[in-house]
Amino acid sequence: MKKIVLLRLGELFLKGENRYVFENVLLTNIRRKLSGLNFKIERTQGRVLVTSFDNEDEIVERLSKVFGLTSLSVADEVEASVEALEKYFEKYTDVVGAFKVDVNRADKRFPVTSMEMAARLGGVILDNNKDAFVELYRPQHIYKVDIRQNGKAYVFDKVIKGQGGLPLGTSGRALLLLSGGIDSPVAGYIMAKRGLKLEALHFHSYPYTSPEAKQKVLTLAKKLTPYVDEIKVHCISFTKVQETIHANCSPEFMITIMRRIMMRIAERLCLTNNLGAIVTGESLGQVASQTMQSMTVTENVVESLPVFRPCIGMDKEDIVKIAKEIDTFETSILPYEDCCTVFLPKNPVIKPKLAKAEQEERNLDIEALIAEAMAGEEVVDIKF
Amino acid sequence: MIYLDNAATTPLSENAAKEFVKYSCSDFFNPSATYVQAVEIKNKLSEVRENLKNLLGARKGDIVFTGGATEANNLAILGSAREGKWEYIFSAGEHASVIELAHALEKEGKTISIIPLQKTGEIDYVALEKALTPKTRLVSVMFVNNVTGAINDIARVSRIMRKKSPTALLHVDGVQAFGKLEFSLDRLDVDLFSISAHKFHGPKGVGALYVKNKAALKNIVFGGGQEFGVRSGTENVAGIMAMNEAANEMKPRQNFEKVSNLKGIFMKELESVKGIRFVGENTSPYILLMIFSGINGETLVRVLENEVVVGRGSACSSKKSGNHVLEAMGIRLEDIKGAVRASFDPMQAEEEILKAARIIKERYLELLERLK
Repeated sequence: MKKIVLLRLGELFLKGENRYVFENVLLTNIRRKLSGLNFKIERTQGRVLVTSFDNEDEIVERLSKVFGLTSLSVADEVEASVEALEKYFEKYTDVVGAFKVDVNRADKRFPVTSMEMAARLGGVILDNNKDAFVELYRPQHIYKVDIRQNGKAYVFDKVIKGQGGLPLGTSGRALLLLSGGIDSPVAGYIMAKRGLKLEALHFHSYPYTSPEAKQKVLTLAKKLTPYVDEIKVHCISFTKVQETIHANCSPEFMITIMRRIMMRIAERLCLTNNLGAIVTGESLGQVASQTMQSMTVTENVVESLPVFRPCIGMDKEDIVKIAKEIDTFETSILPYEDCCTVFLPKNPVIKPKLAKAEQEERNLDIEALIAEAMAGEEVVDIKF
Repeated sequence: MIYLDNAATTPLSENAAKEFVKYSCSDFFNPSATYVQAVEIKNKLSEVRENLKNLLGARKGDIVFTGGATEANNLAILGSAREGKWEYIFSAGEHASVIELAHALEKEGKTISIIPLQKTGEIDYVALEKALTPKTRLVSVMFVNNVTGAINDIARVSRIMRKKSPTALLHVDGVQAFGKLEFSLDRLDVDLFSISAHKFHGPKGVGALYVKNKAALKNIVFGGGQEFGVRSGTENVAGIMAMNEAANEMKPRQNFEKVSNLKGIFMKELESVKGIRFVGENTSPYILLMIFSGINGETLVRVLENEVVVGRGSACSSKKSGNHVLEAMGIRLEDIKGAVRASFDPMQAEEEILKAARIIKERYLELLERLK
């Protein structure tokens, strides 16, 4: 029996004139995602089918992580004739409870109407299953039959949930600040789901942080690739910056100033790499640097781009739930210090004032620090 | 790069490597088989058992080959644990493979005593004497502590034990002692003794448990009945032969002097540096634990790694924040953070050791400056 996968495209249908652009991007993304496997993509009458594959599990697994698909179904391809379909329906011998057969006849030349065909196929199920009964409004099982004009019919009984969202890349490209914690990979995932293609920026503080801490971030980036396809990770040593702040600024402003410098570096990387936004994993009130006042002071240095914080209104539990779903949680909780935990002051300022932060920064040659940090940039390409 | 983490592991000796290849490629037969080639291998293993006993100074008893010291320690303790109301005594300084097992036994409902350490790093012998009862089944005390190098007086431990708990078994984790200190198990009166090949230039994944009376030991692995039924599984012949070769190359007496000299040179270079102090008294010349104040030991290890490789006391527990051995010695958490271990090999040159000490001093002072 030949199998196909029927794809259901989501929100992009709402995009009017742009629909074809979105659809083309989605199909390109699907082709990329399935590369290395045998498959064909067919577009017929508003439907997108994946055919001619041999590794069903892998195809379904990969497709279930493509943004822009709301759901998919694996269907059997059956000859579009009354006899063949009736014969096919004899395979259902363990149906228990309420069911319904739903027939859609795109080929109006088909000799039997949709309603009649559904009744006939339902009859086959009733004949073979003592404990099954027909229920049109609240069925437990739905058997869908799609009769096409090419002389084929597709039959399926399961709908697999897709990611939804917008096709990757249709919203542009952005830079994700990836720390190694639980929140930032989740933030990346959420924004990628809204069509943003991502690059990532990681700050490390070797030798104060271990090489394992950096490796952990690369592992997290790898864990995102089933969704984001590929991700370029910009690794920048923050050691000198931290030591200099430590030596020259008030301890309680350590984190505020660190984050202001991180944001400046992030913006510059965006501009040189043609990235249109900064994405962070901040969640309101989670730590001292994530208060409204702290964010005001850190965001103040970003002049030309939006900063997206998709986790801002989420509880930790909700973030953890997504982290578990996308399989980044286990890696995120590995016990390696990230650069935010070194030089941690005992009493970081919770409601910093912009003027005070700017005054503290006058003790530093910010431009020189940024230039030196960026000169040591190391880029790692992580592929799916 | 100067390697000063010999207590973590050592490189395989060339002769041991040759043995490993020989018994992997040409003399590869399964010692449990019945044809002549296999019987020869079996005989070889018997010779190794005798040789190791000889090196350990034991006339009686048997050698059970294991997959390293963690397994040997587990076998010694679990294999001796009996049904009923027996009591078990462990020192607070034991390696994770013993102390974690002690905690697991306690959770199962066994009666466990943990003997505290003195400030020197040795066990508290008075506390041991108090903890012993006629119901004591097993006492496990390591010979040389892997973190501090502190040497426990095993003869004293067994004397105290035989007086107060004559039926109890004494297990000694001898990983940092075998091939390094001179001793005789017969004279020390030890019942069970664990060794690990890779600590003395043998391969990783092979070790042995000396068992004075194997009738007192129950198996913890079930299978084909190899190793007197105590440790089933086809013997790691190549590993065992290589371990034997490496053991034969160790010269405890000559090496002790050499390595004592090296440690002395190293300490002399660092003793005057403000902020550095040494931990423990009566320690093995192979191990030196230092506390560097004002810094994190882990950071220093990384700062040094391209020039001098040093450890943090215990590779097995370096993932954990504290260190149970140092905590048991009453060292403050802040000082524990600054702990770094240097461990030496007698084959190292004096100049090399001196150079390493100078680099450590320099990098430490630089790091302090960066953190000021």
